[in-house]
Amino acid sequence: MKLQELKENTQAVVRDLKGDARFIGRVTSIGLTPGCRVRIIKNDKNRPLLLYSRDTMISLGRSECDGIEVEEVSA
Amino acid sequence: MSTATIALLGQPNSGKSTLFNALTGLKQHVGNWPGKTVEKKEGSFAYNGMTYEVADLPGSYSMTANSDEEVITRDFIASGEADIVCILADSSQLERSLFMLADYAGISAPCFLVLNMEDVAKDQGKTINVKALEKKLGIPVMLFSATDKKAYDRFYATLERALREKSHIDVSALEKEYEKISGYSEIKDQLSETDISGYTPMWLTVKYLENDKVVSAKLKEELSGDKAASISALGEKAGGAIATGECKFNWIDKLLDGTVNKSETGVKLGKLDRIYTHRFWGKPAVVLTVILGLFASFIPALPIMGLGSLVDILKNVVQGALSTAGCPALIMGLVCDVFIQSMGYIIKMLGFVFGVTLVFGFLEEVGVMARISYVFDNTMGKLGLQGKSVMPFLVSFGCTMGGAAGTRVIDNWGQKVLTIALAWAVPCGAAWAIVPMLSTVFFGMGAPVVIAVLLLVMILHMWVTAKIFGRGLVKKEDRCGMIMELPPYHKPRWGALLRYVFGRTKDTFVRVAKVVLLVCLIFWVLSYGSGVNDTSILYRLGIAIEPVTKFFGLPWQLFIAFVASSVGKEGAVGVISALYAGGSYGEGFMAAMGGAARAANLNELLLANVTKPEALAFIFAITFNLPCVVALAATYQEIHSAKWTARIAAYYTVGALLLSCVAYHIGLLIW
Repeated sequence: MKLQELKENTQAVVRDLKGDARFIGRVTSIGLTPGCRVRIIKNDKNRPLLLYSRDTMISLGRSECDGIEVEEVSA
Repeated sequence: MSTATIALLGQPNSGKSTLFNALTGLKQHVGNWPGKTVEKKEGSFAYNGMTYEVADLPGSYSMTANSDEEVITRDFIASGEADIVCILADSSQLERSLFMLADYAGISAPCFLVLNMEDVAKDQGKTINVKALEKKLGIPVMLFSATDKKAYDRFYATLERALREKSHIDVSALEKEYEKISGYSEIKDQLSETDISGYTPMWLTVKYLENDKVVSAKLKEELSGDKAASISALGEKAGGAIATGECKFNWIDKLLDGTVNKSETGVKLGKLDRIYTHRFWGKPAVVLTVILGLFASFIPALPIMGLGSLVDILKNVVQGALSTAGCPALIMGLVCDVFIQSMGYIIKMLGFVFGVTLVFGFLEEVGVMARISYVFDNTMGKLGLQGKSVMPFLVSFGCTMGGAAGTRVIDNWGQKVLTIALAWAVPCGAAWAIVPMLSTVFFGMGAPVVIAVLLLVMILHMWVTAKIFGRGLVKKEDRCGMIMELPPYHKPRWGALLRYVFGRTKDTFVRVAKVVLLVCLIFWVLSYGSGVNDTSILYRLGIAIEPVTKFFGLPWQLFIAFVASSVGKEGAVGVISALYAGGSYGEGFMAAMGGAARAANLNELLLANVTKPEALAFIFAITFNLPCVVALAATYQEIHSAKWTARIAAYYTVGALLLSCVAYHIGLLIW
């Protein structure tokens, strides 16, 4: 599933990234790589997604989330 | 005394600028990287008989050539100009922020690692075993906190040790990770005889796999045709930046395993963040924060503004002294009307810039600015801007120069220029001082309608301007949306912040003073007449082109006032008052810059000489004219491009005349 389909307070593991080299570069440099665990902190319509991963609170634009495939896991 | 050059490298929010400011204090210089619009910050300090040159490399997320900033950073490091590279990471977000170190590994320049924000990490209950990290990495590592005075002694000691040892990151464990990527070893073998100075074959291979444009092009040049074809076939199957990114984080995980202890605490948003990220209250909270910041910036601004007023008093004193000494009127005019008058004006404006830079620098430093970005990302994204752009817009209601100074928190040059270009459309405090007054004189109860229409036109203007300039400034491929960390709130580093603000204000002063003096001199020459108006160039020009300006709804007096408003909007009313009262407007013009010289019977003068459509045209013309010459200079100071500054200025002058034309002809239909 896509990252933005996750509900607040759920956890997931990143499975795949899709996008151009620039996008992949930026997303990996902020720590989102396949296999990494993320926790959704906030997911409001028309706002960037807030998630927590690798020690860091990350804010991701909604269109950026399109390129991130995840799989929900139980906490 | 010998010298050494240090380059500071770190992701945005790693505390790089704070360290730079703390180290170099006022001994810093801001310029441009040759041929680029990226800001170049250099400084120096002396310690223990050594002079250290410090280069604050532009903020970038990785060592991949995705942006100008990253290319500059990489080229500077590879050039060997720096004796040592100081890599910064954030201890409170260690796992993620060590990415820069992992990406750096394999570059030939020696380095050491500074783990910043020690205090925040401690509050999180994190303990970091520096010695163990040093052993694994093979380079000097230190914990640092910019608020801790003792930390600087440790920093100097580590720096000296790093310069003695000139050590490199031990990449053996990292390379083991890379070797798991299919094709990695084969590509690296093919690169063994290439010689791109500054980088190891491992680093080049990884960047090649990541599709780095610059590295790929260079390798294509260096390698023979069949070798290039073979690595490109190998590269296609390797999995690109996703695979190498995984390797880097696997390496970081192993690095931190056993060296960092963290008591696992659940992540929760703090009280303040719950408000800022609230679906409904977030926006009002941000607007309120910026408005409070705007008010707060007047506190440090007022003493400096007072100083500016003292200069005005000085002007009268000097004028008196010169005239008793029998000084020729020409010299007296130059000294008093041009030099002293302009200085008073500049100092008053600078007070505001000082306040805004301090308050909004503070908000950036403690981490509030990142929240502002988050809340307004969607809205500002429609204009091709970052969420942070909302701050300069709101500040511009007070002073456009402050808004321009505020754009320094925007890290992308194109978005910075576009933000300033749009912020100019926001009527500033000076416009608010005269537009409601003029509207009331001419339209009485209709004044609120005029102001509402002005605000609507402002929004339309910003939208159109974003369309016109946006394409050239913020390219589609650069419209990378928000991928940003929300840093934990930090305590402010007052010393470093103040030093930065003083340095910045000094720089602004120098640049602004040059531009303002030049422009004022030109206007003074143009309006210089021997007490009688009809000898000045400006008057003759005004009369000559009146048939044209009339079409825009501006008789010559109003047109000259419009021209004067590009120097300072406060001046416009003073000029009208001088012109319609039949006085010498050369004088009125200069006095107007101080915001004075308003005839007592101004209302009657205006109503007797100006028709309603003309008044409406004039209101639109000055509201949307370029804000003032100081804002122009501040814009140049921020964007470092004379071409774009001139382009925006010309656009606003033409735009204001067009709007006044439309307003005039609509006015003619109504009245």
